[in-house]
Amino acid sequence: MSEQVALERSYRRILAWYPQSFRAGSEDEILAVLLATAEDGQTRVGLAEAWDLVRGAVRMRLWPAAPRPRSVRVAVKLMLAGAAAELAALITVIATLGSVRAAVAARDATAMQAVHLHQVTIIALAPVAIGMWLWLAWANGRGQDWARPLSAACFGLISLSVIAGLAQGAAAFAPATMIAAAVVWTLGLSSVALILTPAAGRYYRPQPAQQ
Amino acid sequence: MQEATFLILTALADGSQHGYGIITEVRHISEGRVKLRAGTLYTALDRLRADGLIGVDREEIVEGRLRRYYRLTPDGTAVLAEEAARLHANATAALRRLNPGLAGGTA
Repeated sequence: MSEQVALERSYRRILAWYPQSFRAGSEDEILAVLLATAEDGQTRVGLAEAWDLVRGAVRMRLWPAAPRPRSVRVAVKLMLAGAAAELAALITVIATLGSVRAAVAARDATAMQAVHLHQVTIIALAPVAIGMWLWLAWANGRGQDWARPLSAACFGLISLSVIAGLAQGAAAFAPATMIAAAVVWTLGLSSVALILTPAAGRYYRPQPAQQ
Repeated sequence: MQEATFLILTALADGSQHGYGIITEVRHISEGRVKLRAGTLYTALDRLRADGLIGVDREEIVEGRLRRYYRLTPDGTAVLAEEAARLHANATAALRRLNPGLAGGTA
């Protein structure tokens, strides 16, 4: 009997690696199966068994099984679209760098500095923005609760940058980038609205011992 | 669909089973080839439940431990039937090409 107690303890040590939501509902159940399949007189977890259990724990943590509600699935796609839109804007700015400068220089040389600043800002920030979109898409897809306030904060930053762009009169000299900004802003607004719906909320905070 | 998942669904096709029962059924169905381990089984059960392919049939306490019986849902039955038909079609095609002479006769 003490053998079984020792074996049970060593199984529980590995089961501690599983997500709390799984352990709350199924730890005793999986333990019963482990003990039923153990060899007679076995006191320690075998190597292959331990590997199988750890692999299961890693899989459950990396790819939680809770089905994503539709709103979260759509929000993740919109965030990926946001990354694509930023990338398109970046490519456009780089591709038209020279021609825009030439056009502005010919028309209004005093605006040159503002255009320069605008182009440099986009080229510097777009890669960061693309990274953020991708990261938030991944985190929201996994139901990380911190991803929601962070997404909302990022949307706030996008809004501020759009307002700043309008205030600087970017619409006058760079209508294309303002259209891109509007697209990005709309994607941000709709994805944040989707992850804040009640249906999405249940995904971010799964009930323990769910059925 | 992974083979382990297919065999788990197959083990539940003719009635509910508890965890250990699924392991022995899968070994029986695969003629001893597939020995499911508990980690693999419960990762798969967790996912199948979340996807709505299986559900909990009933729970019993045996020797002080929880024993949970799983059964196929209608969705699970449909998915298993579809996968079985697909595997069957593939296997039939393979056998027909390997043994052109027996075409149609045994399939």
